Amino acid sequence: MRASKARRPAWAGVLTFVVLAAAWYALTTLTHTISPGRFPAPGETWDALRQITVTGYADARLYQHILHSVKLVLFGFAAATIVGVPLGLAMGASRAFEAFINPSFLLIRPIPPLAWIPLAIVWLGLGDAAKVLIIWFAAFVPAVINSYSGVRAIEPHLVEAARTLGVPRAMFVREVLIPGAMPMIFTGLRLSLQACWTTLVAGELIGAIAGLGHVLYQASLDIFPAMIVVGMAAVAVTGAAMTALLGAVERRAMPWRAR
Amino acid sequence: MKRHFAALAAGITLGLATTAASAQQLTEIKISYQPAVYWALPFYAAAEKGWYADLGLKPVFSTFPAGVPQIAASASKSWDVGALGSVPATLGAARYNLLMIGISNDESDGNAIVATAKTAAGFEKNPGSVKGQTIVLTANSTGDYAVQSCLAKWGLKKADVTMKSMGQAEIMSAMSSGNADLAGLWAPNTYTMEEKAGAKQICSGKDAGAAVPGAIVARADYAKENPQNVAKFLAVYLRAWNWLNAHQPEAIAMMKKFYEQGGVTISEASMKKEFSTRPTYDLAGQLRIMRRPPGGASEVDGWFTKIGAFMQANGTFPEAPAASKFITDEYMKMIDADPKLKEFANRSN
Amino acid sequence: MSATATSNALPFRRWLVLSVAGFVAFFAIWWLIAASGLVQRQFLPTPPEVIEKFVTLTQSPFVGYTLQQHLASSFGRFAAGFGLAVLIGVPLGLLMGWFRWLDAIVTPLFDALRFVAPIAWVPFAALWFGTGIGGPVLIIFSGAFPPCVINAYRGAKFVEPRFVEAAQTLGASHFRMITEVLMPASIPSIVAGLRISAGLGWQSLVGAELIVASSGIGYLLVKGQANISTSIVMSGMIAIGLVGFAIDALLRVLERRINARRGIAG
Repeated sequence: MRASKARRPAWAGVLTFVVLAAAWYALTTLTHTISPGRFPAPGETWDALRQITVTGYADARLYQHILHSVKLVLFGFAAATIVGVPLGLAMGASRAFEAFINPSFLLIRPIPPLAWIPLAIVWLGLGDAAKVLIIWFAAFVPAVINSYSGVRAIEPHLVEAARTLGVPRAMFVREVLIPGAMPMIFTGLRLSLQACWTTLVAGELIGAIAGLGHVLYQASLDIFPAMIVVGMAAVAVTGAAMTALLGAVERRAMPWRAR
Repeated sequence: MKRHFAALAAGITLGLATTAASAQQLTEIKISYQPAVYWALPFYAAAEKGWYADLGLKPVFSTFPAGVPQIAASASKSWDVGALGSVPATLGAARYNLLMIGISNDESDGNAIVATAKTAAGFEKNPGSVKGQTIVLTANSTGDYAVQSCLAKWGLKKADVTMKSMGQAEIMSAMSSGNADLAGLWAPNTYTMEEKAGAKQICSGKDAGAAVPGAIVARADYAKENPQNVAKFLAVYLRAWNWLNAHQPEAIAMMKKFYEQGGVTISEASMKKEFSTRPTYDLAGQLRIMRRPPGGASEVDGWFTKIGAFMQANGTFPEAPAASKFITDEYMKMIDADPKLKEFANRSN
Repeated sequence: MSATATSNALPFRRWLVLSVAGFVAFFAIWWLIAASGLVQRQFLPTPPEVIEKFVTLTQSPFVGYTLQQHLASSFGRFAAGFGLAVLIGVPLGLLMGWFRWLDAIVTPLFDALRFVAPIAWVPFAALWFGTGIGGPVLIIFSGAFPPCVINAYRGAKFVEPRFVEAAQTLGASHFRMITEVLMPASIPSIVAGLRISAGLGWQSLVGAELIVASSGIGYLLVKGQANISTSIVMSGMIAIGLVGFAIDALLRVLERRINARRGIAG
C-alpha cells in the first residue's frame, strides 16, 4: 500500500515511537501535565497489561479475548466473502443482473453496521450470531464493490480473445474472470478485513462474555483508562497481524504479480 | 429641551443598569441528570416553576444516558452539581472527587430483577433455579447492586450465574424478543417491561434488604469555591420534592411530559407507583439520615459503605472510598442555618 | 462509463424495467417475511407500518425532537468532525507525499492507529470533552481522518514525475510545489478520498450517538430500542441511510464534475 516502503529507512519508524514513548512518560509520570484520570501513564498501562495477561480482566485472559475476537471476525469475514465476492463478480459480469440487484444493494449499503445492532439483538439474540451479523454487514459492502470493479477492469482484449476462441462459460469464469479480477478482489478483502475489525469492537457491545470489544466496554464502565489503552493496542496489533497474513495469502494467490 | 434629554438619557441608563444588574444576579450553575427517571423530576419541575431564578440561579442542564458517562464528564468540569445512582456516585467519589451532598430518593424498590412472563412463576416459586442462568444487567449500576443483593438473599454466589453487561435499551430489546429470561433493570424501565412485554419483577433491592439510595452530588472543587450555590441548588431540589409530593395530580401530569421527553411512556398506574414506592426526604429527613453521632457513622454512611464493599468485591476499584470522606451534610446544614433558605426549602406550594 | 470488458451497456428500457423489478422485489420479500410470521410481528414490521411510523416521526416529536431535528443535530456534529478531518488530513497527506522525512515519521504512527475503531475513542471522548461537541467530533474525526490523509498522500506521491521535474527546474519553492503542482494533480484522488471519508465519518457518528448522546439520529435509534418499537428503530435506520446516501451522491456528483473538467472519464 505504501509505494516507497523500500526507500523509507526502518529506523525512522522506530525513532518516532521512541520519541513518542519518551514524551508520553515525560508528560504523565514526570511532570503530571496530563493527569492519570485523563490518560494513563506508561507505568499504569504496563500494570494493566500484566493484569489482563496473567490474572485476567473482564472474565478472561488476554489470549482468550484475542482468540474469541479473531474467531468472530473470521466467521463474519468468511461469510461476507462467500456471499459478497460472487455477488460482485456476477454484477460485474452481467449488466442485467447488476440492474436487478443494484436497488437492493443501494438501499442496504448506506446503513452503518452499528445501526443494525437493535435488530440483530431481537432477531438473533445475544449470542455470537448477532455479532457475526454486524461484522458481516461491515465486510459485505467492500467485498461486493471491489469484486465488481475488478471484473469491470479486466482488459478487454483478454475477454475478446476468450470469446473468439469459443471458451465455455465455466472455463471463462475460472481462467479469465476470476484471475483477472483478483487484484481488486484482494483490495476488497483487505478493506473488508479492516472493516471487520473496526466493527467488531462495536459488535461486542451486544452482551459479549469475552473478546477485545468486551474488554474495552468493561474498561469504559470501570473508567479504567489504562485498560482501555491496553485494549486499543491489542485491537491494533491483532488487526495489523491479520492484515499482514492476508497480504501473504494475496502474494501466494497471485504469483504472477511481482510486488 | 436639553434638560429633558439629559433626564431621559439618565433614566434609560439607570433602567438598563438595574436590569443588567438584576440579570447579572443570576449565576449560572451546571446541573447534570439522566432523562426520564424519577429522581430527576424535581429538576424539571423547578425549572418549569422558575424556582431557580427565585434564588438567583440560572441552571444549565446536561443529560446523560447513564451514571458512568455522567461522572466521566465531570473530569472535564462539564457540570458542577447533579444527581445519579449511588453506585456510579461512589465510583465518581473514588475517581473524580465527587461529594455526596444529599439523598435524592430511596430507590430500593426501583431496582430489581425482572423475569419474562413465561419464566417468572418458576423463578418465584423456586429462586434456587436461578442458578446456572444468564442475567443481563448494566454493570456498575444500582441495577447491578440490586441483582447481586438478590442473589445473596437466595443463597447464590456471583459465580453461580452468568452475567452479561449491556445498556438498558439493549436489555429491554433482548428480553422482549425472548432472548433473555432474567434482567437487572431500574425504574421506569421495569414498568416499561411489565407493560410492553408482560415481564414481572421478582426481587427488588428492598426485597433483598439492600438499601439503594439515589445520590445528589457536587464536584468537590466547585463546592469548595461556591458553597452558597450548592446550598441554594439543594434548597430548590428539596422544595421541588415538597411540591411534587403535595400536588400529586399535577405531579403526575408533569412526570408524563418529562418522561415522554426522555422517550418513556408508562401508564398512570405505574407513575403513581413511582411515587408510592420511592420515598423522598425533606430537609429534616436529610439531616436525620446524614447525622453522624460523635465518632460514629450515619445511616447514609452505612448504605454507602455496603455499596463500596460491593464494588470493591466486583473489582471496580482496589479499595472503596471511606464514606466519611466523600459524604457530607455540610450543605444541608447550611440551609438549616439560614432562615431564608430554610423557609424556601420547606415550602410545598 | 466507457465500454467495459465483459458486456455492453443495457438499453435504457431494459435497465429501467430490471431496476424497478429489483426495487419491488426487495420490498416484496420484506413484506412476505414480515407477514408470514417467521419473525414475531413486533420485531419485523411490514413496509407500510415502517413508512407510517417514519411519517409520524417527522410530524410529532420523539424524545424531544422530530426526526428532521434529530437529523439536523447529527448532521451538525458530522459536519464539524468531517470538516476538521479534511482541513487537517488533506494538507497533511500532501505534505507527507512531498517531504519524505515527514512520511517516515508519521506513517508508522498512522498505521498503528488505523485499526483502532472510532468507537473505541468514546470513553476518552467523555473524559476529555464531557458534554461538549468535542466528544462526537473526536470520534467522527478518527473515522474520517485516515482516508483524507491516505488519498491526498497517494495523489501527491503518484504525480507524474515530469511535472515535478519541470517545476523543480523552474526553481519552484516547496510551498509553490505543493500548492501549484501536487495539489491540483491530486484532486481526483483527494475527492475520491473525501467520499470514503464522509461515509466513514457518518457511520462513526451513529456509533458514537448510540452510546453517549441526548439528541441525534443515533440517540433516536437507542430510544426506539428502549421503547420496544422496532418501527422507530427501522425508521431511524432509513433516515440514516437516506442521509448517508445523499452525502455520497452529492460527493459523487462533485467528483464527476471535477473529473469531467479535467477530461478524465468518470
